[in-house]
Amino acid sequence: MTMRPSVRDAMLAAVPSLRAFAISLCGNVDRADDLVQETLLRAMANIDSFQPGTNMSAWLFTILRNLFRSEYRKRRREVEDADGSYAESLKSHPEQQSRVEFEEFRVALAKLPPDQREALILVGASGFSYEEAAAICECAVGTIKSRVNRARTRLSDLLSIDGADDFGPDHATRAILSAGGRG
Amino acid sequence: MHTDAPVRKAGGRLSREDQRRLGDILQRVYDEVVRQGVPDRFKDLLNELNGGPDSDQAGQKPAAQKAGPAGDEEREADRLVEAKSPESSQHKGSN
Repeated sequence: MTMRPSVRDAMLAAVPSLRAFAISLCGNVDRADDLVQETLLRAMANIDSFQPGTNMSAWLFTILRNLFRSEYRKRRREVEDADGSYAESLKSHPEQQSRVEFEEFRVALAKLPPDQREALILVGASGFSYEEAAAICECAVGTIKSRVNRARTRLSDLLSIDGADDFGPDHATRAILSAGGRG
Repeated sequence: MHTDAPVRKAGGRLSREDQRRLGDILQRVYDEVVRQGVPDRFKDLLNELNGGPDSDQAGQKPAAQKAGPAGDEEREADRLVEAKSPESSQHKGSN
Protein backbone atom coordinates (compact mmCIF):
# COMPACT_ATOMS: atom_id res chain seq x y z
CA MET A 1 0.00 0.00 0.00
CA THR A 2 2.43 2.60 -1.10
CA MET A 3 0.81 5.94 -0.67
CA ARG A 4 1.23 8.83 -3.00
CA PRO A 5 2.53 11.91 -1.24
CA SER A 6 -0.61 13.76 -2.21
CA VAL A 7 -2.69 11.16 -0.42
CA ARG A 8 -0.56 11.32 2.66
CA ASP A 9 -0.69 15.09 2.62
CA ALA A 10 -4.45 15.02 2.33
CA MET A 11 -4.60 12.73 5.34
CA LEU A 12 -2.28 14.93 7.32
CA ALA A 13 -4.31 17.97 6.40
CA ALA A 14 -7.43 16.29 7.71
CA VAL A 15 -5.94 15.36 11.09
CA PRO A 16 -6.59 18.59 13.02
CA SER A 17 -10.22 18.58 12.07
CA LEU A 18 -10.53 14.84 12.65
CA ARG A 19 -9.19 15.36 16.15
CA ALA A 20 -11.64 18.13 16.85
CA PHE A 21 -14.46 15.93 15.65
CA ALA A 22 -13.21 12.97 17.67
CA ILE A 23 -12.89 15.03 20.82
CA SER A 24 -16.38 16.33 20.41
CA LEU A 25 -17.65 12.79 19.97
CA CYS A 26 -15.92 11.10 22.85
CA GLY A 27 -15.12 14.00 25.11
CA ASN A 28 -11.68 12.80 26.01
CA VAL A 29 -8.52 13.86 24.22
CA ASP A 30 -6.58 10.66 24.76
CA ARG A 31 -9.34 8.45 23.55
CA ALA A 32 -9.96 10.83 20.69
CA ASP A 33 -6.35 10.59 19.60
CA ASP A 34 -6.48 6.82 19.75
CA LEU A 35 -9.57 6.98 17.62
CA VAL A 36 -7.80 9.18 15.09
CA GLN A 37 -4.86 6.82 15.02
CA GLU A 38 -7.09 3.86 14.42
CA THR A 39 -8.87 5.79 11.71
CA LEU A 40 -5.61 6.52 9.91
CA LEU A 41 -4.50 2.90 10.16
CA ARG A 42 -7.75 1.69 8.80
CA ALA A 43 -7.74 4.26 6.05
CA MET A 44 -4.27 3.17 5.05
CA ALA A 45 -5.27 -0.47 5.04
CA ASN A 46 -8.15 0.39 2.76
CA ILE A 47 -6.59 3.11 0.72
CA ASP A 48 -7.44 1.25 -2.45
CA SER A 49 -11.07 1.88 -1.81
CA PHE A 50 -10.52 5.61 -1.70
CA GLN A 51 -11.22 7.25 -5.02
CA PRO A 52 -8.76 9.97 -5.86
CA GLY A 53 -10.49 13.22 -6.47
CA THR A 54 -13.21 12.55 -3.93
CA ASN A 55 -13.26 14.15 -0.53
CA MET A 56 -10.53 12.58 1.61
CA SER A 57 -11.69 14.43 4.66
CA ALA A 58 -15.25 13.13 4.37
CA TRP A 59 -13.94 9.62 3.85
CA LEU A 60 -11.83 9.79 7.00
CA PHE A 61 -14.68 11.28 8.99
CA THR A 62 -16.86 8.39 7.90
CA ILE A 63 -14.32 5.85 9.06
CA LEU A 64 -13.81 7.64 12.35
CA ARG A 65 -17.51 7.87 12.98
CA ASN A 66 -17.99 4.18 12.28
CA LEU A 67 -15.16 3.28 14.62
CA PHE A 68 -16.55 5.52 17.28
CA ARG A 69 -20.01 4.06 17.00
CA SER A 70 -18.80 0.51 17.32
CA GLU A 71 -16.84 1.54 20.37
CA TYR A 72 -19.72 3.61 21.65
CA ARG A 73 -22.03 0.64 21.67
CA LYS A 74 -19.66 -1.05 24.04
CA ARG A 75 -19.40 1.96 26.29
CA ARG A 76 -22.90 3.23 26.09
CA ARG A 77 -23.42 3.79 29.75
CA GLU A 78 -20.27 5.76 30.08
CA VAL A 79 -21.19 8.18 27.36
CA GLU A 80 -24.81 8.53 28.28
CA ASP A 81 -23.84 9.83 31.65
CA ALA A 82 -23.97 13.27 30.18
CA ASP A 83 -24.36 15.15 33.41
CA GLY A 84 -21.60 13.36 35.14
CA SER A 85 -18.33 11.89 34.05
CA TYR A 86 -18.57 12.70 30.39
CA ALA A 87 -19.26 16.34 30.97
CA GLU A 88 -16.58 16.32 33.58
CA SER A 89 -14.03 14.87 31.23
CA LEU A 90 -14.78 17.64 28.79
CA LYS A 91 -14.19 20.24 31.42
CA SER A 92 -11.09 18.95 32.95
CA HIS A 93 -8.68 18.23 30.17
CA PRO A 94 -5.63 20.42 30.57
CA GLU A 95 -4.92 20.64 26.85
CA GLN A 96 -7.97 22.70 26.34
CA GLN A 97 -7.14 25.98 27.93
CA SER A 98 -10.64 27.18 27.81
CA ARG A 99 -12.41 30.15 29.02
CA VAL A 100 -15.35 29.77 31.29
CA GLU A 101 -17.85 30.25 28.53
CA PHE A 102 -16.21 27.56 26.48
CA GLU A 103 -16.54 25.19 29.39
CA GLU A 104 -20.19 25.96 29.76
CA PHE A 105 -20.69 25.47 26.10
CA ARG A 106 -18.87 22.16 26.10
CA VAL A 107 -20.88 20.88 28.98
CA ALA A 108 -24.06 21.79 27.14
CA LEU A 109 -22.73 20.18 23.99
CA ALA A 110 -21.99 17.01 25.92
CA LYS A 111 -25.61 16.80 26.94
CA LEU A 112 -26.86 16.58 23.39
CA PRO A 113 -27.83 13.19 22.06
CA PRO A 114 -24.90 11.84 20.03
CA ASP A 115 -26.77 11.96 16.74
CA GLN A 116 -27.57 15.61 17.17
CA ARG A 117 -24.13 16.49 18.39
CA GLU A 118 -22.32 14.94 15.47
CA ALA A 119 -24.69 16.49 12.96
CA LEU A 120 -24.24 19.93 14.47
CA ILE A 121 -20.48 19.60 14.51
CA LEU A 122 -20.13 18.29 11.00
CA VAL A 123 -22.26 21.07 9.57
CA GLY A 124 -21.62 23.84 12.04
CA ALA A 125 -17.91 23.45 12.67
CA SER A 126 -16.24 20.99 10.33
CA GLY A 127 -17.58 22.81 7.33
CA PHE A 128 -19.34 19.94 5.60
CA SER A 129 -22.42 20.54 3.55
CA TYR A 130 -25.67 18.94 4.62
CA GLU A 131 -25.22 16.46 1.80
CA GLU A 132 -21.71 15.52 2.90
CA ALA A 133 -22.79 15.21 6.51
CA ALA A 134 -25.64 12.96 5.43
CA ALA A 135 -23.21 10.73 3.56
CA ILE A 136 -20.90 10.58 6.56
CA CYS A 137 -23.74 9.73 8.91
CA GLU A 138 -25.39 7.42 6.40
CA CYS A 139 -28.75 9.06 6.64
CA ALA A 140 -31.00 11.36 4.65
CA VAL A 141 -30.22 15.03 4.16
CA GLY A 142 -33.51 15.93 5.82
CA THR A 143 -32.52 13.92 8.86
CA ILE A 144 -29.30 15.86 9.19
CA LYS A 145 -31.15 19.14 8.89
CA SER A 146 -33.61 18.23 11.57
CA ARG A 147 -30.87 16.95 13.87
CA VAL A 148 -28.96 20.19 13.44
CA ASN A 149 -32.06 22.22 14.20
CA ARG A 150 -32.87 20.20 17.26
CA ALA A 151 -29.29 20.42 18.43
CA ARG A 152 -29.31 24.19 18.16
CA THR A 153 -32.60 24.51 19.95
CA ARG A 154 -31.50 22.18 22.69
CA LEU A 155 -28.19 23.95 23.14
CA SER A 156 -29.90 27.26 23.37
CA ASP A 157 -32.28 25.81 25.91
CA LEU A 158 -29.50 24.41 28.01
CA LEU A 159 -27.52 27.59 28.00
CA SER A 160 -30.36 29.94 28.70
CA ILE A 161 -31.91 27.65 31.31
CA ASP A 162 -28.64 27.83 33.17
CA GLY A 163 -28.83 31.57 33.10
CA ALA A 164 -32.47 31.74 34.04
CA ASP A 165 -31.99 29.75 37.20
CA ASP A 166 -30.14 32.59 38.68
CA PHE A 167 -29.98 36.03 37.24
CA GLY A 168 -26.88 36.86 39.18
CA PRO A 169 -23.60 35.11 38.62
CA ASP A 170 -24.24 33.13 35.53
CA HIS A 171 -24.68 35.57 32.78
CA ALA A 172 -21.37 34.66 31.22
CA THR A 173 -23.18 32.42 28.85
CA ARG A 174 -25.53 35.15 27.83
CA ALA A 175 -22.63 37.44 27.40
CA ILE A 176 -20.97 35.25 24.86
CA LEU A 177 -24.23 34.44 23.22
CA SER A 178 -24.66 38.14 22.80
CA ALA A 179 -21.11 38.82 21.80
CA GLY A 180 -20.91 36.15 19.16
CA GLY A 181 -22.28 36.32 15.68
CA ARG A 182 -22.14 40.03 15.41
CA GLY A 183 -21.22 39.50 11.79
CA MET B 1 -26.95 46.85 27.85
CA HIS B 2 -29.74 44.44 28.10
CA THR B 3 -28.93 40.97 26.99
CA ASP B 4 -30.53 39.73 23.89
CA ALA B 5 -29.80 36.17 24.82
CA PRO B 6 -31.75 33.61 22.89
CA VAL B 7 -35.27 33.30 24.10
CA ARG B 8 -36.35 29.81 24.75
CA LYS B 9 -39.03 28.67 22.45
CA ALA B 10 -40.13 25.22 23.35
CA GLY B 11 -39.73 23.11 20.29
CA GLY B 12 -39.51 26.16 18.10
CA ARG B 13 -36.77 27.19 15.77
CA LEU B 14 -34.18 29.68 16.73
CA SER B 15 -33.88 33.01 15.06
CA ARG B 16 -31.09 33.44 12.58
CA GLU B 17 -29.34 35.66 15.03
CA ASP B 18 -29.36 33.00 17.73
CA GLN B 19 -28.19 30.39 15.28
CA ARG B 20 -25.30 32.60 14.36
CA ARG B 21 -24.33 33.09 17.96
CA LEU B 22 -24.38 29.42 18.74
CA GLY B 23 -22.53 28.66 15.55
CA ASP B 24 -19.89 31.16 16.42
CA ILE B 25 -19.15 29.62 19.81
CA LEU B 26 -19.21 26.16 18.36
CA GLN B 27 -16.73 27.18 15.72
CA ARG B 28 -14.42 28.71 18.28
CA VAL B 29 -14.50 25.66 20.51
CA TYR B 30 -13.76 23.46 17.53
CA ASP B 31 -11.06 25.68 16.14
CA GLU B 32 -9.31 25.66 19.44
CA VAL B 33 -8.50 22.02 18.78
CA VAL B 34 -7.84 22.51 15.09
CA ARG B 35 -5.24 25.12 15.89
CA GLN B 36 -3.22 22.52 17.75
CA GLY B 37 -2.26 21.21 14.34
CA VAL B 38 -0.99 17.71 13.72
CA PRO B 39 0.58 16.05 16.76
CA ASP B 40 3.87 14.33 16.06
CA ARG B 41 2.46 10.90 16.65
CA PHE B 42 0.32 11.23 13.53
CA LYS B 43 3.09 12.67 11.40
CA ASP B 44 5.31 9.79 12.46
CA LEU B 45 2.59 7.28 11.84
CA LEU B 46 1.90 8.46 8.32
CA ASN B 47 5.56 8.75 7.50
CA GLU B 48 6.21 5.24 8.70
CA LEU B 49 3.27 3.87 6.85
CA ASN B 50 4.41 5.61 3.75
CA GLY B 51 8.09 4.98 4.10
CA GLY B 52 8.36 1.28 3.33
CA PRO B 53 10.12 0.38 0.09
CA ASP B 54 7.56 -2.27 -0.67
CA SER B 55 4.02 -2.73 0.38
CA ASP B 56 4.52 -5.67 2.73
CA GLN B 57 7.08 -3.79 4.73
CA ALA B 58 4.84 -0.80 4.95
CA GLY B 59 2.18 -2.86 6.61
CA GLN B 60 4.47 -3.87 9.41
CA LYS B 61 5.93 -0.59 10.28
CA PRO B 62 3.26 0.96 12.44
CA ALA B 63 3.53 -2.02 14.70
CA ALA B 64 7.16 -1.43 15.35
CA GLN B 65 6.30 1.44 17.62
CA LYS B 66 4.35 -0.70 20.03
CA ALA B 67 6.47 -3.81 19.92
CA GLY B 68 10.15 -4.42 19.58
CA PRO B 69 11.70 -5.57 16.36
CA ALA B 70 11.61 -9.23 17.28
CA GLY B 71 10.39 -11.40 14.46
CA ASP B 72 7.41 -12.92 16.21
CA GLU B 73 6.14 -9.65 17.39
CA GLU B 74 6.38 -8.17 13.98
CA ARG B 75 4.26 -10.89 12.55
CA GLU B 76 1.78 -10.49 15.28
CA ALA B 77 1.70 -6.79 14.71
CA ASP B 78 1.06 -7.39 11.07
CA ARG B 79 -2.01 -9.36 11.98
CA LEU B 80 -3.05 -6.54 14.22
CA VAL B 81 -3.05 -4.14 11.35
CA GLU B 82 -5.01 -6.52 9.21
CA ALA B 83 -7.45 -7.13 11.98
CA LYS B 84 -8.28 -3.49 11.89
CA SER B 85 -9.84 -3.69 8.49
CA PRO B 86 -12.86 -5.92 8.81
CA GLU B 87 -15.16 -3.26 7.47
CA SER B 88 -12.73 -2.67 4.68
CA SER B 89 -14.06 -1.40 1.45
CA GLN B 90 -17.58 -0.72 2.47
CA HIS B 91 -17.08 2.74 3.84
CA LYS B 92 -17.80 4.77 0.85
CA GLY B 93 -20.44 2.76 -0.84
CA SER B 94 -23.08 4.63 1.03
CA ASN B 95 -23.70 7.76 -0.93
